[in-house]
Amino acid sequence: MPRSVRRLVGLVVAVSMAAAVAGCATPPDRSDAEAYAEFKALNDPLEPLNRTVFGFNQAIDAMFLRPFADFYRLLLPAPFREGVHNILANLRSPVILANDLLQGEIDRAGTTTGRFLINSTLGVGGLCDWATDFGLPRHSEDFGQTLAVWGAPEGPFLMLPLIGPSNPRDAVGLAVDSFILDPFGLMGTLDMAPEWMVTMQYVRYGATVVDERSQNVEELDDLQKSSLDFYAALRSLYRQYRTSEIWQGHPPAATEGPRFDDFPSLPAD
Amino acid sequence: MPDLRLPIGRAIAARLIVILAVVLLAPGVAAADDPAIAAGAPALVKGFADEGVSLLEDRSVSAAVRAERFRGLLRRYFATEAIARWVLGRYWNQFDAAQRDEYYRLFEDLVVYGYAKRFGEYTGERLRIVRTVLDSNTQATVFSEIDRPTGGQPINVDWRVGGRADVYRIVDVVVENVSLSQTWRSDFSATIQQSGKPAALLDVLRARTAQLKAEIGAAN
Repeated sequence: MPRSVRRLVGLVVAVSMAAAVAGCATPPDRSDAEAYAEFKALNDPLEPLNRTVFGFNQAIDAMFLRPFADFYRLLLPAPFREGVHNILANLRSPVILANDLLQGEIDRAGTTTGRFLINSTLGVGGLCDWATDFGLPRHSEDFGQTLAVWGAPEGPFLMLPLIGPSNPRDAVGLAVDSFILDPFGLMGTLDMAPEWMVTMQYVRYGATVVDERSQNVEELDDLQKSSLDFYAALRSLYRQYRTSEIWQGHPPAATEGPRFDDFPSLPAD
Repeated sequence: MPDLRLPIGRAIAARLIVILAVVLLAPGVAAADDPAIAAGAPALVKGFADEGVSLLEDRSVSAAVRAERFRGLLRRYFATEAIARWVLGRYWNQFDAAQRDEYYRLFEDLVVYGYAKRFGEYTGERLRIVRTVLDSNTQATVFSEIDRPTGGQPINVDWRVGGRADVYRIVDVVVENVSLSQTWRSDFSATIQQSGKPAALLDVLRARTAQLKAEIGAAN
């Protein structure tokens, strides 16, 4: 097993053990039906541990990620960053294609293939996204979504060290995407990658982290400022966002939410 | 013989009446089912977007004045009380009348000052209404798109509108499939759980809104 995989396995084991030690949130007594229903709906039995990991992630972010992302945005012009983003997105095409196929989404698989061919050639190695202009818009896909489509439950909410909000389904999905479905990752997993490719993979991962963080600076700042409990807001956002992705951007309409038709102040007709 | 014709005549007459009824009443039935909110909801969203844009583009007034104008918009277009109440969920019942009043006020302040702080970031984006879907006779979703200033795929914003007769209000804004109300609800209930008592939410809201308000005042 290559070092990267062993490290990931080690991380998962460490987190599970820490979870066992650090303890879980105490579920409210079942006699308080409302409180118990809320606890189930939150689906975050590891909340105390998750919050600790979240604090750690925020510290790492404040010390390294955020400053780096700020520098990146300050020093490099938007077209350059757009190009980097496009190249990284293009590199992900095989993973997206594999998941399109695993979900039986033949049309989307065609789109992904077309995008990859156009952008890798006309788009100079993915630098420019011409495929969108050709009517092949970008979409995202990952093995976590594939598992969801296959009917796997998401499991409890997890805040992963360095990686962020997740759940067992998405964590497995991330590992499968990174080490099996990604051609470069697979070569690394099989110890078939030459030294330079391993180095390039690290560069790619580093660039991906900086790119993603720099794209989310405003959004995360906004969420942090507008929320009372940043952790809870992020947890809710992550779930809603994943649900939307699993439904290809068209989740079933929410059955609950504020209503305006049952308010007595309204004049009856 | 006439005994025979009569039933046939009756049957034909009955059929005619049914057909006439369907033809004549169909628009009436449709109007009762479909009606006002199908046109009213997008009109409401458009009204809010238009007034919002003129508010955002008017840079002649101070940030504090714009915040208060935004409060006016909010009251005319949003069911803020219904939203605030749903966001509080089961803790609503644990608040007394005075706490509820204060909560309404603080919730509105949080929305007003939280968004007013960001008015300066506006760079001329326009909202396009794409379509309206009726969820029920009293609830509709208006789907809209906002173009990003940097290009790329537009941002999807869905507006849930509720109402009866000719009174409609926006009850939720769903940005890229993330519901503001849902996110607030999780956020607020976590705040209450972390402190262990519902009244603590009011303390947190008081501190936060005061801070936001001060920042807006300082921006003048």
